[in-house]
Amino acid sequence: MQDDGAINLDDVSKTAFCIPYNPGEDSDDLAPPKRVLAKSLFQERDLEDGQELRFAAYRKAWKKCLDRVQTIVQELESQSVKQVVHEVRTSYISPLPGLPYPEIPVVSVINPGLGPSFLENITAQLEESSAMNSDGDVESSVIHLYPGDVPNLTTGMRTIISNFLAKGGTPDPVKRKPMAPLASYDIKYLDAWYRAWANAQGKSPNLVIVLHEFEQFDPPVMQDIFHICSGHISRLPIVFLLSMTSPSSNYLNAAYSRFTMSLLRVRNFTTPSGVRILHTILLKTFFDPEFEPDIIIGPATLQYLNDYFTRYHSSVDAILTILQLAHLKHFSSDPLTILVHSTPSVATLSRPNSSLFLQAVSARTKPSREEEDVNMDAQSLSQRAIDQVDKIRTEFYSRHRNLRVGFAVVLRMQTFLRSYYYKGLDWSADLENGNGLCDAMLDALRGSFMRDVKHLGMITKKLKRDELRRLLETLYGFFHELPSNVRSGEQEPRMHLVEMQSRLSADSNSTISVASRFSDWVTEYLGNKLVPLEECTLWDVWYTGQSPFPSELLNPSLRASIIAGLLRPYEFVENLDNHVDANSATKSIWELPDTSILFKRYLDSGKMINVYDWFESFKIVLDTQRSHLKDAANTDNATSPRKRGKGKAKQAQHETIDEEKWAVEVQARFVRAMHELDFLGFIKHTGRKADHLIRTVFEIDDAE
Amino acid sequence: MTCSFPGYEHVCFELGTLLSMHPPPFIYIQDIESVMTTFSVIGTLLRALSDESYSSISTGGVKICHARVDAIACFNARLFYEAVINSLVQFEPSWEDGCGNWESDVEMKWNENMDAFLHGLRAAHADLCSKNHKGKGKGKERAGGGYEHVRLVIVVERAERLKESLPELLVPLTRLAELARLDLSVIFISQVGWEDIRPPLGASPDPYYIDIQSPSKENIVRGLVANFEAISDAQSSYNPYHPALKPLYAHFIAILCDVCFPFTHSPQELQYIAAARWPGFVKPVLDDHLQTRDKALDEEDVDMEDDSAHTSKGELVPPTEEVRMRLNKLFNASLSTAFEALLPRLTNAADWARANEPPGELLSFPRTFMLEQAKSASKAGDDKEEGIRALPRLSKFILLAAFLASTNPPKSDLRMFGRGLDEKKRKRRVVTKSAGKGGVAKVSQRLLGPTPFALDRLIAILGALLEENDVQPDRSLSKILTIPGEYTDMEITRVSVYSNIMELTAMRLLHRTSPPERLDGPPMFRCAVSYDTALGIAKQLDVALNDLLWDPV
Repeated sequence: MQDDGAINLDDVSKTAFCIPYNPGEDSDDLAPPKRVLAKSLFQERDLEDGQELRFAAYRKAWKKCLDRVQTIVQELESQSVKQVVHEVRTSYISPLPGLPYPEIPVVSVINPGLGPSFLENITAQLEESSAMNSDGDVESSVIHLYPGDVPNLTTGMRTIISNFLAKGGTPDPVKRKPMAPLASYDIKYLDAWYRAWANAQGKSPNLVIVLHEFEQFDPPVMQDIFHICSGHISRLPIVFLLSMTSPSSNYLNAAYSRFTMSLLRVRNFTTPSGVRILHTILLKTFFDPEFEPDIIIGPATLQYLNDYFTRYHSSVDAILTILQLAHLKHFSSDPLTILVHSTPSVATLSRPNSSLFLQAVSARTKPSREEEDVNMDAQSLSQRAIDQVDKIRTEFYSRHRNLRVGFAVVLRMQTFLRSYYYKGLDWSADLENGNGLCDAMLDALRGSFMRDVKHLGMITKKLKRDELRRLLETLYGFFHELPSNVRSGEQEPRMHLVEMQSRLSADSNSTISVASRFSDWVTEYLGNKLVPLEECTLWDVWYTGQSPFPSELLNPSLRASIIAGLLRPYEFVENLDNHVDANSATKSIWELPDTSILFKRYLDSGKMINVYDWFESFKIVLDTQRSHLKDAANTDNATSPRKRGKGKAKQAQHETIDEEKWAVEVQARFVRAMHELDFLGFIKHTGRKADHLIRTVFEIDDAE
Repeated sequence: MTCSFPGYEHVCFELGTLLSMHPPPFIYIQDIESVMTTFSVIGTLLRALSDESYSSISTGGVKICHARVDAIACFNARLFYEAVINSLVQFEPSWEDGCGNWESDVEMKWNENMDAFLHGLRAAHADLCSKNHKGKGKGKERAGGGYEHVRLVIVVERAERLKESLPELLVPLTRLAELARLDLSVIFISQVGWEDIRPPLGASPDPYYIDIQSPSKENIVRGLVANFEAISDAQSSYNPYHPALKPLYAHFIAILCDVCFPFTHSPQELQYIAAARWPGFVKPVLDDHLQTRDKALDEEDVDMEDDSAHTSKGELVPPTEEVRMRLNKLFNASLSTAFEALLPRLTNAADWARANEPPGELLSFPRTFMLEQAKSASKAGDDKEEGIRALPRLSKFILLAAFLASTNPPKSDLRMFGRGLDEKKRKRRVVTKSAGKGGVAKVSQRLLGPTPFALDRLIAILGALLEENDVQPDRSLSKILTIPGEYTDMEITRVSVYSNIMELTAMRLLHRTSPPERLDGPPMFRCAVSYDTALGIAKQLDVALNDLLWDPV
């Protein structure tokens, strides 16, 4: 392509050239991404195929977490889904008598946080005819409409009608082809089809139109569609299902005229939103005695998740993104994370290039110095490491289980105390607006929960007899309902509770003594349970701990990132240029790409920039660069230094370039770099002063 | 003349006479307030006129055929032609026939243009004539007269829409009789006056005007009470529309109209409110009746003399005057709450009726009971901003900044939000302008509506708000950013800020006023939340909103 498309750039007869984009030329680095994780910091002690193995482990762990979260979300939304489905199915059953005219049933679903899965759930249930209840529910034929489908009335009506026809199928073969059929956007066409279709089926299903992102629909068009449908409502059982994200429940009232509103019978349904989603997901994923996550997210990430959710983006998507990123980061940071699910075999570990890995493992797992056996061969050494790691894994998970059970007990007690109007702890276990519930989870993970536990113990001492009995019952019930594998480890508290219960019921004067006994026991019990996970050996394999979340990846500050990118391009791009040592801390200006050079000079100027001066200063830098490159090329011909982008093809033969050509090249590079800055918004054009531009960015803290 | 709604007798008489004698080719009916009722009245009238036996006697052998089309539903010319002709010949397309339109013997497509439509009209006319001639033999025997010809009446409802959707049809339609050379009359019914939709240059002839007066209260009451019979059902005795309750219903409607008539004259709206309130209003009576009947069934020896309101047969009888008075007093206050909720359709009638269903044994409650209940119900309705509360914190700040940007004049920004390096206090506006300067009093921006603002201004105000009112989360970042204001500077240029703005635009809490395809210059927005909402948000964020408003009203 290059050959036949060779352009003569020196052609003076043309004012502009089209240089076609040719991706094959210099995009070797854009090869299809390999399914591996990024290189870890401690790469030298990684196993041979460590990246692949860790990726597999990551996928397994993340899938478990994702499945759990999705199940929780489904549980959250199931209630609303059921209501909406019921409403749609019974839309035409028993309307209020005495209305002046029939209204179109409109079900508006306000779903700010749960994402599209909610609506998918609804439509799936609507279309399932088997799941119908017997109480007069009607089947539904569901079609979906997106804002793009309804640019105007004609197209909108045609889409609605053709979708229904495609969905339901055409009932009877048409006997004859009329000369002038009805228009395909005429509602009478739908009417005729519906009659024939319903007759053929022997039942009359509701016609459900799902309008996705309803706020994006053009109100004047929708208004007419509502009007047209309302004229045929007695013959076509149409139901509109509006999906909205607008949190204010009266969007319809605000956007549509009263005349249109009077044609509709709107019923609003709101899905759970806000912190309730976050709390439910976190509690049930990481603090549920029944569920054991593979990777435990540490307080730093949870804190960020809480901040991000309440501050920037309250949706399930945000939670999933952050959890996934945390998983990814965890698995890509340390080669040891390979041990999350299973330990590599003896054969793998005893390979010579695994020795560093093995050393790292055994250094962490070694019980004591004396046991070290100098003449232990690699095989037995790795066997010992494997045994140790397996033991530690079991221990770690059991510790986490203890933590979860302990936290659940605290949660139960707190809820119980609140329900009896005790002040309890200074956070609320209420999912809806539980202030500080997230902080409590963080405290539990950080191990600074003992204060709360002691406080709980103090309160329980003051409980009345009846309350104490109830509390004991509640806790016993909780232990009783634990899954069997967890319950087997919790025999002792159950026995204690039973014993205290029986003492309480046997002697009516024993309240104080039982209460104090209970208080002591519960403090001790929780103290044993709520142990920080960091105390376990090799904890950082399963637990992200205090390692910070890469928040700048998810939510960078645009301006700061762009300026930082211009000032320090080598910190952002790998392999920008091979000849420059990317690790050296400071770079002289000639080593930077053109745009960065120009930007540095930009920062040196006053409020207005004289373009010619700017160009001159740029030229000086390029001249320096040229001479440096010449020297480098002379000394080392093999790694011919090339600047990325601009004029690099010509630089290979820079010996032959005469000064004139060099000047043209400098000019071209200047113009290009300036345009790049212009696109980024750093330049404001003005006609006030000839050859001058206005800076838009000031007061940059340029360290160099 | 038949008249289906009281108060329309004159109109019916006038129009009926015109149509059956020598109708003008173009009639324009304007009704500002109750156009739906006019539609139904005229529809009934035309049906009656088309009724064969009737027209053959009174119109001297002219058969009237009519078509009603809705200008909104017929949004292009083809639909309009099809609707008129199919409706004239009362043809209904069926799926088995391939959804064809009505076709005359002459093979032609008449839905393509005006000319073809005129041919189609003539074909339809010929077809109707021939149909009538077929029936002539019988008609002669029966009524002793045949039809000389067929008269076509085309009614266009909501004719004001023709001006936007089919402007090219407006002139031909008003001259349809001369174009088609048929005995034909076109009637436009609209809420808008003819002078507002009249084509320019006098292209259309002046119509015969009929203006419909807004219905009087008495007529509406009569009309609504007359509706009762249509819905009443004597089958089950526990039925709010039992015939025995008609006198009570008449009283109820009278009270309802007393309360609501000053605000709306539309019989449909009043009927809507009545439909929502009536089941609750009559419930105590029905409950009482049920109880008595059960008692009567339980106890064999019923004292018939004592029970004046109910007969021993268990039939529902109208309640006594005293019960009626009590009901009036109990429900009077709830009528206006019903009106306030239902007229703007803040809720629908069925849901309102369910939510405001009176408790059992209501008649034994104090008379202020319903009033209190209504008050508590309206309080519960205030909780509508629940969704706004669930917004992320930054979105709330953005909304607040947008509200300020839309309300304050741009020139005031520096004074409202600017602050020097050393002084921590914001410069407040010096004095509120004195209104008595003799000039025209300036209208507050909040009453004028939100003004558009550029994205940059929104971001700048957001920065000022965050700097003053946001707590810096204790994170690692705040340790790096030590220069005052630097943290906020980072914060307002974050990706999330921009994505939140776009999300709020998608939710229509902000309106984007500049087209999305325009790349030059910053995008413009306008705030779409009300003052009350903004105040609520400010309260949640602990921002003193009134201090930040240039024109605190």
